[in-house]
Amino acid sequence: MADFGSALRSTASLSSSDMSHLLVRVAIPSLFAAGLVIAGPWILDTYTLNILVRAFFVAIAALTVDVLWGFSGTLTFGQSAFFGMGAYALAIGFTQFGFGPWQALLALGAAVGLTAAVAGFVGWLSFYPGSTPLYASVVSLVLPIVLVQILYSGGTLTGSSSGLVGFESFDLSLESWFRLAGAAVIATLVVARIALSSDAGRVLGAMRDNDERCTYLGIDTARVRIGLMVVAGVVAALAGFGYVGFSGVAAPENAGFVFGTQLVVMVALGGRGSLVGAVVGALVIEVASAYLSSSLPFVWELIVGVAFVVVIVVLPGGLFGSLRGAGIAIHRRFGRVPVRTSSAVTLATLERAAVAPDRNDVVVEVDGVSRRFGSLSVLSGVSFTVRQGELVSIVGPNGAGKTTLIRCLADGRERSEGTVRIAGHAIHRLAPDRIVGLGLGRKFQTASVFETLNVADCLRIARVRSERPSLIGVSPVLALPAAARAVVESSGLAERLGEEARFLSHGLKQALELAMVLALEPQVLLLDEPTAGLTRAERQGFAAILTGLVARERLCVLIIEHDLDFVRQISSRIILLHQGRVALDGPVAAVADAPLIREIYTGNTRPTEAR
Amino acid sequence: MMTLVLDIITTAAILFIVSAGLLIVFGVMKIINFAHASFITIGAYSALVASRLGLSPVLAPALAFLAGGLIGATAERVVVRRLYGRPLDAILATWGLSIVIGQLVTLAFGREVQFVPAPISGTLAIFGEDYSRYRLLMVAAAFVIAGLFTGLLNGTRLGLSTRAVIMNETLAQGLGIDSTRVRLITFGIGCGLAAVAGALITPLASVDPNMGLSWLIGAFMLVMVSGGSLLTLGLSCFVLGGLQVLASTFISPILGGLTIAVLAAVSLRLRPEGFARG
Repeated sequence: MADFGSALRSTASLSSSDMSHLLVRVAIPSLFAAGLVIAGPWILDTYTLNILVRAFFVAIAALTVDVLWGFSGTLTFGQSAFFGMGAYALAIGFTQFGFGPWQALLALGAAVGLTAAVAGFVGWLSFYPGSTPLYASVVSLVLPIVLVQILYSGGTLTGSSSGLVGFESFDLSLESWFRLAGAAVIATLVVARIALSSDAGRVLGAMRDNDERCTYLGIDTARVRIGLMVVAGVVAALAGFGYVGFSGVAAPENAGFVFGTQLVVMVALGGRGSLVGAVVGALVIEVASAYLSSSLPFVWELIVGVAFVVVIVVLPGGLFGSLRGAGIAIHRRFGRVPVRTSSAVTLATLERAAVAPDRNDVVVEVDGVSRRFGSLSVLSGVSFTVRQGELVSIVGPNGAGKTTLIRCLADGRERSEGTVRIAGHAIHRLAPDRIVGLGLGRKFQTASVFETLNVADCLRIARVRSERPSLIGVSPVLALPAAARAVVESSGLAERLGEEARFLSHGLKQALELAMVLALEPQVLLLDEPTAGLTRAERQGFAAILTGLVARERLCVLIIEHDLDFVRQISSRIILLHQGRVALDGPVAAVADAPLIREIYTGNTRPTEAR
Repeated sequence: MMTLVLDIITTAAILFIVSAGLLIVFGVMKIINFAHASFITIGAYSALVASRLGLSPVLAPALAFLAGGLIGATAERVVVRRLYGRPLDAILATWGLSIVIGQLVTLAFGREVQFVPAPISGTLAIFGEDYSRYRLLMVAAAFVIAGLFTGLLNGTRLGLSTRAVIMNETLAQGLGIDSTRVRLITFGIGCGLAAVAGALITPLASVDPNMGLSWLIGAFMLVMVSGGSLLTLGLSCFVLGGLQVLASTFISPILGGLTIAVLAAVSLRLRPEGFARG
């Protein structure tokens, strides 16, 4: 318990090294930028200031595109629509009711409320279990088109195709607008930067890398994505609100699909996933367009187009991505940055909150489960039960329906008929993340981890379900349940916590995924051919870990395995699946030596069944 | 009433002509060619050039196919080829390509709206109604395109290789099919077809450097809904195009303009894989 207490205490505060890191990476640049924003009006001419104020608001919209695309992997063309909603909320409000403090508040409230509602709806439409990133992009394309058509048909309310102009707006000097808009950009940047590098922010990267694994770690990714969409939409709307408050013109172009693609171009050129790159991209393009579009109208857009294609094809990281790459390369050259394999994170053991009841409860109940794909029946009438502390191997030839069975246990929408109960609760048609909540952990056949996250962060994502991660800080302690920690220590992952998962060997990736699933503290563990492709030594290590889990933690393990010797060594029971039915179910000795097994695996005793 | 039916049929035919090139690229390469719009524009300007040179109007689609196909194949070679593993980036790069092509067209021809005379004009009395001959010609053109393409896919060696690449690219490569070549030709044909569409629709619309854009979203949505087969594309064009005509006629043209995009988005939510299978 002492360990747990100290873990809690240290998660609450940031370690000193993280604080200095944050200071260097965030505070100093933002103070410098704030200095520039304050000094700007003394240096720059009126024309440039004018352009920059608009560019600042566009940069905020570009930042929201970067968060959605660069961090969570949703390519969106629709942020312009939210920008436009904020813009028109102000323009319509001030045109209809005149300018005043309560009108301004009303318009602001309308902008935020309307955008949040629309963004929530668009998010619900775009993100559902099994949705593809392409579909979200499709929806983001439709949104601005629909909005612009609504604006066109709005008559005098929206000003139709010419937009709204000539309403009274905030009476601020150009200098104040400049400083206000600049401060807004810096504030957005700092907040986004802190939130995205926090423990909670890592979840976005995990979803981008591997949405399915997130779901099977109990994270409702659709909900996270919808929430992010609402936040990004509201921020973009506020940017549009400021933009029109300053310029005094709201036009359909502010909401259109072309502007939406321009935002994407800005982020791509600046560098997706770098935040600062999005701001720089937006400012450079906006300012350069303003200066060059009069002198070289078509050539300038041609240059932007060519640069965009080149960046997408050759430098997917954009300007900032390649600068960062070059910086790291130079540092490496002079040996200043050590390769980060170890990390500042220290491991701790989490005591089980509730002591596992040492009974032989039935935790998996499968009754009459069938799965059909059209006329093809893969599983028919499969029934069995598994108790705590049992290690059941599911064997059978290829195509017997083993993986389909695992899927039917882990995802409520998979089976065609029958009931499944996990720890006494029927799974109905629940999504995988909800079934994880019932106490089920699933390890996939091919190692499924978060490729661009480091080992410690991968494990931390697995704990998100039970411990709400911090939105502002990075915890220096990684508290894991004893079983997960044992896997991390024994596999050698403990020395490589700071290494990105994609650089791990196949065996280590498998161990990492197992540790992630164990970090969920499941009652039921589903393993799909966990030892495929492992060396003999790794396989023996794996067997020891599994039998230990079953003996000590009273875990219920269901494992798909082909190697009958391995099965004999670890199992307490064997289920033989053949042509979608349970052919045999019994103790190891009875099933492993049954003549039917030999028949099915070699297929030589009954030639009529061989194809 | 008869006019309405003919409107639905001809609208479906025009939508089919405009989306066919996009479908071919999506079906084989699994990427979405956002430069499709600018190839429609290229075709339209080819028709403009053909009519200025005094060529026979029958040659306009051929010239357009040549121009679109060559430019498309070049684009595949230089840009698209590097993005096969990154479908979302391919959307962006082809969008960038369309910016480039659009600006080049503007530099060459100016940004003002121009017109191409229709090769056949006037109306035809059909079931007691007078209906535009050129729109009726579009129905025939749609069937010709569908027929040629089905013939190419099912009757030639290239078609066989293409079908193999569609079904299982890795296996096709293992069997010695040069999938790079298949992709190059496919992209060229897809862009060529877009240009043909551009040449065919110009007599019905005006020509300007951004003319393709208004067709892009509709074509894109139809292709997504169809899920990658020519038959279901025809069906989607008929159903969604028909609803568009009905909405424009009976409710409002603005709602009509949104019909395809909104209904396609909703039907994809309900059936993400499109309507190609089952």
